[in-house]
Amino acid sequence: MAKSVLLISRQAPWAGIAAAEALDIALAAGAFDLPLSILFMDDGVLQLLDQQQPLALQQKDLSANLQALPMFGIEQLYVAQHCLTERGLAESTLVMTAERLDDQQIQQLIREYDYVVTL
Amino acid sequence: MSDEKLVIDGREIALDQDACLCCLDDWSPQVAQALAKREGIELTEAHWEILSLVQQFYTEFQLSPANRALVKYVALSLGKDKGNSLYLNGLFNGMPAKLAARLAGLPKPANCF
Amino acid sequence: MTTLHILNASPSTATQLKSCLRVVSIGDGIVLCGEAVQALRPGSAAAEQLLACQQTYHLYALQEDVQARAIDTTMVSVTLLDYPAFVALCVDYARVNSWT
Repeated sequence: MAKSVLLISRQAPWAGIAAAEALDIALAAGAFDLPLSILFMDDGVLQLLDQQQPLALQQKDLSANLQALPMFGIEQLYVAQHCLTERGLAESTLVMTAERLDDQQIQQLIREYDYVVTL
Repeated sequence: MSDEKLVIDGREIALDQDACLCCLDDWSPQVAQALAKREGIELTEAHWEILSLVQQFYTEFQLSPANRALVKYVALSLGKDKGNSLYLNGLFNGMPAKLAARLAGLPKPANCF
Repeated sequence: MTTLHILNASPSTATQLKSCLRVVSIGDGIVLCGEAVQALRPGSAAAEQLLACQQTYHLYALQEDVQARAIDTTMVSVTLLDYPAFVALCVDYARVNSWT
């Protein structure tokens, strides 16, 4: 059986290429049918924020790309609740459905996967 | 493969190393016809239906679908009769994601050989 | 089924340590290397955070990084590692989470 991967995406979409690279890993895993889930944490939660306008910086629309994940078979998305709260985003609309986890649930989540990749 | 050009109505259209359009705005149905001809495909209604869906996918997600994503997207839009590998392989010489993206004027899908 | 967390960034400029301490499970290991060893500096805010929940995890640090930065680790319960020990440690845990 294929090994499962938890991808922890911790960088803002504007802070260099880490967020885009994390998404590439996810899409590649999806294309090859590998079981992968994503946890958005720290500034990574900003990737899920609605109504961003990357074109203003001539950047690709990462949040549009993210919404393709279910099409690539990546259905399990999680977001760290405390990271949303810390950033004043507890009630904000997110571009896609992600299960909100507290610290204990994140600890549990990490233990469920064969590999963890943090970007 | 060296970069090539298509000539349509006297207009030169540049292709990249994957035989995809260099400039997505160059796309037109005639361009699709010409690209299809290079692949030995005669475009039918069934093809156009998929090409338009692939373009819709690109507009929605800003990326070209890999095979698995294409199958799923077609299934959601047109039902499982068309959203399956067999049907799409039949239309696009066994390389549906790659060829549909190319003929729809989109970049080559990532993670696709 | 424990995890080895590897941290490499300074606790004063990065959120690695803070975030890692929130999600570390009982029995996990934390390895400090590079600038992350600054968290061992006695009396620092980061050291306080580290020590506050030290019963949860095992703490390790790369010896050469500690030595180079003149950090006194006698007050802290930390296992100092050379590279072979570091490698051996990675194999001992079910998974490695390398924070970047």
